[in-house]
Amino acid sequence: MATNRNPGPVGGGALSSEFAGDPDMTELVQMFVDEMPQRVDAMLDCWEKGNLGDLRRMAHQLKGASGGYGFPTVGQMAAQLEAGLAAVGRTPDSEALDHLRTQVVELVGMCRRVTSEPPSGA
Amino acid sequence: MSNNENKPLVLLIDDSIDVHRLLSARLRHEPVRLVSLTRGVDGLEHVRRETPSVILLDLDMPDMDGFEVLRALKDDQATNNIPVIVLSGLHGSEDKVTAFDLGATDYVTKPFDLAELRARLRAALRLDRLLKLLAERADVDGLTGLGNRAHFNKRWAEKVAECRRYGHALSLAMIDIDLFKKVNDTFGHPAGDEVIQGVARLLQTTCRSPDVPCRFGGEEFALIMPNTGPRDAEMVVERLREAMEQIEWPRHPDHRVTLSAGLVGSDSSCGDVTCDQWLERADQNLYAAKHGGRNRVVASDIQRACPLTKAA
Repeated sequence: MATNRNPGPVGGGALSSEFAGDPDMTELVQMFVDEMPQRVDAMLDCWEKGNLGDLRRMAHQLKGASGGYGFPTVGQMAAQLEAGLAAVGRTPDSEALDHLRTQVVELVGMCRRVTSEPPSGA
Repeated sequence: MSNNENKPLVLLIDDSIDVHRLLSARLRHEPVRLVSLTRGVDGLEHVRRETPSVILLDLDMPDMDGFEVLRALKDDQATNNIPVIVLSGLHGSEDKVTAFDLGATDYVTKPFDLAELRARLRAALRLDRLLKLLAERADVDGLTGLGNRAHFNKRWAEKVAECRRYGHALSLAMIDIDLFKKVNDTFGHPAGDEVIQGVARLLQTTCRSPDVPCRFGGEEFALIMPNTGPRDAEMVVERLREAMEQIEWPRHPDHRVTLSAGLVGSDSSCGDVTCDQWLERADQNLYAAKHGGRNRVVASDIQRACPLTKAA
């Protein structure tokens, strides 16, 4: 189930939080962004080890939390991965695995774009 | 007791640290105290130690899931009235039906809109207050929200018994609004009600947390001050009297309203002095305050002031 840890550029630039500039959220958004590389590594570890149960839990938590930090698109993509993992169960066939791999790569790519900086031009 | 401890407790049980952080930040300005736990079993243990006003409960948790926690809460008579808002990533109507059938008050799906969650939390806190009020209704005065005469009688008997048994200090103040009839006759009954409610608010804000303010009847209030001798109690009531005369009433800004109080207290065991004898003595002091010119506090020590103690 190995995948590329650096799956290459994914379309789109930096992804700013909807709450950039909200004083109540500045610290939390920064923390979310700072911790994102660990989350990404943990998700990739689960994927490489075939630990789909833990990967689903991570996607579930990311789905629940991302919107709260002002990154709803990350949450939507995490929700798609969670749904994909739920649909295939524990022993996915190769076609399902390919689809899941795409979803993981897309989610990881989007996660790597998050930034605590306000949107350019804001 | 700090201010924070007086705020209603909201218990969050969710295995996601992100949800803990987000709610902690977003509820920072709400008048609540948030305690966050990651496991259902810890949540149930906490609820047994300290009853929350509202529980925010995640469904999808490892070990003990939210449904199990909800079932345990609703099976226990001590916890079954606590409003529970389910926070869940499970969007299926089957999960919602199960949660509501188990006794959940509300169901919010993740990712949640935090402004909406705050509004739902406020609604649940209102529900909690109403449920508690309903439970205490027999003891609550409708106009002021303070304990009524029945409530006073119960609490007063408890406190006198404690004073007698353990030698705890105790004081009682009977507080009366001066010339209240004049307020009613001159400015109307709504103005009179406003003054009564104002005194109740003042009692609630001026008193310390162990004090028990009650509406004794009409324009008369009783204030039980446990673990407080007459000197300290006099300071509390004096503070109340001073605050009262500063109030500018919206319906009659040029007419200030004052309070008179009769206070009696004991620094140690009150011996065989009965509940009624305490009241009688406090009433005598109130009468003295009225006849001394009103807007004053007359205080005395129950042991010295009540000869019935020595006779017993």
